[in-house]
Amino acid sequence: MKLFYSFIKELKLASRGYYFYIELFVAFLILFVFLFAVPATFDSKSSEYIYLDMPKEAKDMYLEEILYKDIDKKAEVVKVKIDNEKKDALLYITEDKKIYVLNNKEDVIDIADKERKTSGIIKIDDENNVKYEYYLQGYESQRLKNLLKILHVEEADTLKEVMDNQDVRSISTNYELLSDRENILPSVLVFNGSLMGLFIIAAYIFLDKKEGVIKAYAITPSPVWQYLMSKVGVTSFTSIISSLIVLIPIMGFKPDYILLLVLLIVTGFFSSSLGLLIASFYKNIMQAFGVLYVVMMLMILPNIAYFIPSWDPSWIKIIPTYFMLEGFKTILIGNNDFIYILSVSGGFLITGIILFVISNERYKRNLLE
Amino acid sequence: MISVKNLYHSYNNDKNYQVKNVSFEVNEGEIFGFLGPSGAGKSTTQNILTGLLRIQKGEAIVAGYNVRDMSKEMFNKIGMSFEQSNVYSKLTAKENLDFYRKLFDVPTRDSIELLKLVGLEGKENIKAGNFSKGMKHRLTFARSMINNPKLWFLDEPTTGLDPSIAANIKSIIKEKNREGVTVFLTTHNMFIADELCDRVAFIVDGEIKLIDSPKNLKLQYGDKLVEVEYVKEGEIITEKLSTVLEKDKKSLQNIISRYEIRTMHTKEATLEEIFIKVTGRGLI
Ligand SMILES: Nc1ncnc2c1ncn2[C@@H]1O[C@H](COP(=O)(O)OP(=O)(O)O)[C@@H](O)[C@H]1O
Ligand SMILES: [Mg+2]
Repeated sequence: MKLFYSFIKELKLASRGYYFYIELFVAFLILFVFLFAVPATFDSKSSEYIYLDMPKEAKDMYLEEILYKDIDKKAEVVKVKIDNEKKDALLYITEDKKIYVLNNKEDVIDIADKERKTSGIIKIDDENNVKYEYYLQGYESQRLKNLLKILHVEEADTLKEVMDNQDVRSISTNYELLSDRENILPSVLVFNGSLMGLFIIAAYIFLDKKEGVIKAYAITPSPVWQYLMSKVGVTSFTSIISSLIVLIPIMGFKPDYILLLVLLIVTGFFSSSLGLLIASFYKNIMQAFGVLYVVMMLMILPNIAYFIPSWDPSWIKIIPTYFMLEGFKTILIGNNDFIYILSVSGGFLITGIILFVISNERYKRNLLE
Repeated sequence: MISVKNLYHSYNNDKNYQVKNVSFEVNEGEIFGFLGPSGAGKSTTQNILTGLLRIQKGEAIVAGYNVRDMSKEMFNKIGMSFEQSNVYSKLTAKENLDFYRKLFDVPTRDSIELLKLVGLEGKENIKAGNFSKGMKHRLTFARSMINNPKLWFLDEPTTGLDPSIAANIKSIIKEKNREGVTVFLTTHNMFIADELCDRVAFIVDGEIKLIDSPKNLKLQYGDKLVEVEYVKEGEIITEKLSTVLEKDKKSLQNIISRYEIRTMHTKEATLEEIFIKVTGRGLI
């Protein structure tokens, strides 16, 4: 009951401060941008740069094959910028790719080296086998490398056969299941929900430290953990509200909101507890700012891996937001992988509890600091 | 009500103590004062007794609870007013008190009634953030009585207040004490100590130099003084003369026999004069 009153009081305080409104405002702003500015699907065709290192007949046959997949059945002559020089190339636009056919080997290497694009040379050796040479950037995931390897292992007798058997696989599974707009949502949920929560709870704590009200609370029969929990409750509550503001208009009733709420609550709990713990080491927000900033930046990193499937170093998985993103995405896709969501949620719940318990001990011990 | 034995405290956890070997007892029903200059260790001691600071060395029993492993229950019985007011500036005066009431397991006092008591009636719906310093202080003071404490800690209860408000606070403290509340207060104001306290401890540099009642101290340390006002050649002259020193006694006799006496009273030494005599320090 005391916990409930503390929660109501915190809610009252929050509603009279401006962080609360900033969070809601940001949520509406994101929603507005999403609905009116971000197209449901933007041009996301991947670009391929290739050079065909083979006799003319074979080359013509290969190009004919590509042309067959071209949407308007026409190749365009375009200029490609390589190291500040314009080079001629043939552009074929298929359903899911833009294929640039370059005129010489050097261009392939330069485009990989100078323009940081993945490119390849396709050649036919003396035994009439098709060979692929890829120029990668070094940061591609092992998964992509393996995929490239198995893509072409089969030796084929004829070029035609290779082409017919060529298998197009998407590098990340599920990728096509969400529109581009929807695909950004997990990032929004993690950012607006969890990262804001982390920062805002720290801001609330510092406000209370400044006003000295923690001391007044400490000399009541109510335990400190209730004071902390009521704060966690309020930040989680506002992050849920702001998440739903963005989600419902965009996703409608497609996702499973029960699962979503579970994940929102536990991730909110986790990041608020982290914010509490960080705040417990400092006297004011200026002192804590550096650490808060670094932590938030680290937490943002997995977004990069999320949007660039080919960059996926394994160490990124120790950053909790990686699992938040994957979890939210799984829910939004709607394949309701309960086991995955619940185990991710369980992980956040347990680490959240650990962080909360440590924070509680620290606040009990250092009330005057 | 309070029993403290050989209490030490160092903020840096070293041998440089801010509270040194402090021992004292506070009896039920009395007003006990810590009198000392700023930085003497008064608030530090009080914060240890209320659990705001972790006890490091020594023993302290407060309202029957050992401070070393105090139970949260203890706070139903005690109240504490802070030197620096600490209320939610975004909540109104009444909301501040209403919320605080909910945190106790014992019957609490009505918020409006309390605000009236400290002279904040009509201000209940104003946010504490818009209060003056003195008003915030009174709100903090009012809050400390909310659970009808048996033991009441007051840290500099009248410092920085207008004389009329200070008088109001003093009379509330006296009234509560008459109802049986034990009071532990800290102050660097000798008038407060003199007027309110049954017993005072002189504290300087973290050490208690002496504990006694103001009355005893004056009997013991105060030289008897006579303040005499007389007319000499048409002029009014005031002199303070000792009733102990021979020279002063002589001149007093001389004045009485030769001049017209307007007023004459014995004057006790002030607590501050005694404090300086005992500790070699002023109270500022
Ligand atoms: N949080 C703190 N950290 C370090 N030193 C402190 C702290 N609070 C008080 N002190 C020091 O401890 C001594 C006693 O302070 P305090 O108990 O507040 O004195 P008083 O209440 O008698 O004015 C002072 O020298 C003060 O500077
Ligand atoms: Mg003090």
